[in-house]
Amino acid sequence: MTTLELDGVTKTFGAPDAGGVVAVDDVSLTVDDGEFLVLLGPSGCGKTTTLRMIGGLETPTEGVISFDGTEVNEVKARNRDVAMVFQNFALYPHMNVSQNLGFGLRRENEDRSSEEIIDRIEAVAEMLEIEGLLDNTPAALSGGQKQRVALGRAIIREPRLFLFDEPLANLDASLRKTMRTEIDELQSEVGITSVYVTHNQEEAMSIGDKIAVMNDGRLQQLGTPSEVFNEPSNQFVAQFVGSPDMNLYEGTLTENGDVYRVNVGITEFDLPSGLVQAGDDVLDVVVGFRPQDLFQSRTRQTGGPKIEADLRVVEPLGTEAILYGETEGRAIRATDTQFHDLDEDQSVTLSIAPEHIYLFDANTEELLKGRLMTEREDTGVGEVEVRDGAGAEVRDG
Amino acid sequence: MAADTTDPAEEFGSNRSWLYDTTPGFYLRKVLIWGTTLGLSTFILFPLYWMVVTAFKTTSEIQQIPPTVVPETPSLEGFRLVVESSLAAGGFDSFLGWDISSAIDIDVLLLIANSLKVAVGAGLIALVFGTIAAYVLSQQEFRGKNAIMSLLLASLMFPGTAIMVPEWELISTLNLFNSHLALILIYGAMTAPFVVWLMKGFFDDFPDSILDAARMDQCTPYESFRYVIAPMAVNSLIASFIFAFLLAWNELVFALTLLNQSKFTVPPGLLTFVQGFNTQWNVVAAASILVSLPVLAGLAYIQRYFVQGLTGGAIKG
Repeated sequence: MTTLELDGVTKTFGAPDAGGVVAVDDVSLTVDDGEFLVLLGPSGCGKTTTLRMIGGLETPTEGVISFDGTEVNEVKARNRDVAMVFQNFALYPHMNVSQNLGFGLRRENEDRSSEEIIDRIEAVAEMLEIEGLLDNTPAALSGGQKQRVALGRAIIREPRLFLFDEPLANLDASLRKTMRTEIDELQSEVGITSVYVTHNQEEAMSIGDKIAVMNDGRLQQLGTPSEVFNEPSNQFVAQFVGSPDMNLYEGTLTENGDVYRVNVGITEFDLPSGLVQAGDDVLDVVVGFRPQDLFQSRTRQTGGPKIEADLRVVEPLGTEAILYGETEGRAIRATDTQFHDLDEDQSVTLSIAPEHIYLFDANTEELLKGRLMTEREDTGVGEVEVRDGAGAEVRDG
Repeated sequence: MAADTTDPAEEFGSNRSWLYDTTPGFYLRKVLIWGTTLGLSTFILFPLYWMVVTAFKTTSEIQQIPPTVVPETPSLEGFRLVVESSLAAGGFDSFLGWDISSAIDIDVLLLIANSLKVAVGAGLIALVFGTIAAYVLSQQEFRGKNAIMSLLLASLMFPGTAIMVPEWELISTLNLFNSHLALILIYGAMTAPFVVWLMKGFFDDFPDSILDAARMDQCTPYESFRYVIAPMAVNSLIASFIFAFLLAWNELVFALTLLNQSKFTVPPGLLTFVQGFNTQWNVVAAASILVSLPVLAGLAYIQRYFVQGLTGGAIKG
């Protein structure tokens, strides 16, 4: 069992002064023993390079990677005792499933008895429910089966670390959801420290104990899924996490007695000063509304802003719908369960609870105010009057 | 009318000639296609056919004018002479208790043995050096890489005989004149560039993630090659070997120049029987067929690897 630590890890491809690319820039993070860390970010953000450096497939240009406090920068991949699951499965095409599973065991220790290897292959095959496929070649397997074999090949060695490089990206949507749960369960079962790379925020939220959001090679935020969702450290994280995308509007924040007056063009509203820590009198801000937090004000009342919007498209998803609207020439997205009587081109009044509004500094893009979960009403946000758990209801919708 | 249509498919259809629109056109096209196929096939296959029928003719029928397309009096005389002579030369006649006094002097078995030695040797040299070079050229970045690849391609383009004189000097200096080793080295060097190109294509397309997987499975670089790369490369390796083997098997000029008659390989060996007006063409043809049989049998067996290997780099990824 292993604690993984990255300290100031940087990876540059090519010479830095000759148009080299900084793929990973000064990333520091710690993954505790048995923890499941998800590296989340758009493609090209350096998450896979980070993973490959942990596995020993790339060498960091700067910084230290350590397992249990021991630096492993110079340790070759084959001596790190790490297992990796690849996006394209990377099964050996000339070996059958059982040979694929046993290959690593044999390489790890040439003297290992065949009986022991066969026993472990059978145990892993049973765990992954691929007993019937042991004699097949990879070419004869479906995508899901291939991914199970690839998982098995990682598990069978009982390594110090599991690394997953977008393991579900090549599977179809329904399989992706099943496999995601299975990987989560499997990891809890074997309790091996894991690092999982994905660009899919939904996958990251559902599978990770902790999420490290990366962009342009830099670590943007490291936190639990709810921290990343409710208190994104900056505008990038806020936009990247959550679906549909957050609505963002530029505006100004003005101190006005014991409230802050926020003007975002499409609407104006007050925020109790207890919710925001702003230094200046007037501040350029970016205001964020999560589509899930917006609701039609005819169904509920809060002290929050009211936004008149003309509906353009209603996209039903079964129990709820995504509403695409326009207000003062700006696009707005909301999700709502009360959509059956809505027509396109109709106008609706949307509202949001003040504690659910995000505020960012327009210059630094950093968070000024996150989304307060309504459970927190007793922990120091006294001024906010929470109206019969409105936020929770909206989230359930 | 056609000017009014904007659908390109329709426009294309309306511009078709009568060849595509009418029944006579349909038959004309069939006739043209079949005619061309037939002409090409005849051009390629007739020499082979002529060799086979010549082997089954008697000497008098071969010299008959006009020549016969099908042997009128089929005869195995050519084969008998070749087999008897070869047995006699190999010392098998006394072993079998036969008394053979052959009119000719040909030892097909020795020719085949010499050729096999040279071709297998050249094939292995080309394979080993070509594969190593291809692996490095594919995986490593270094200055002059493209220049090397172009040079290798260029070396395939000009005929080997163009460097006959320097080669002769080289072999003479190395004191390898009249040895099979000389041919093995020359043929190996001549085919290695092709092997480099073929194998580089294979290594370029080799999925990196499989190599990564092998590294994560605790393979040393040698173990990756031994257990992962080599088994996956087997088709391309066989294709490379066959190519080098066939070139060495068929090569005439170097063999004729650098060897004495006692060490001849198949091509110069067969040539010794072409002797102006006295040539016994049925013997030459029969010998040609007999020496081709082992290679044909071998190639028939592994040709599926050849096709897979040649196309593998292109389409399998």
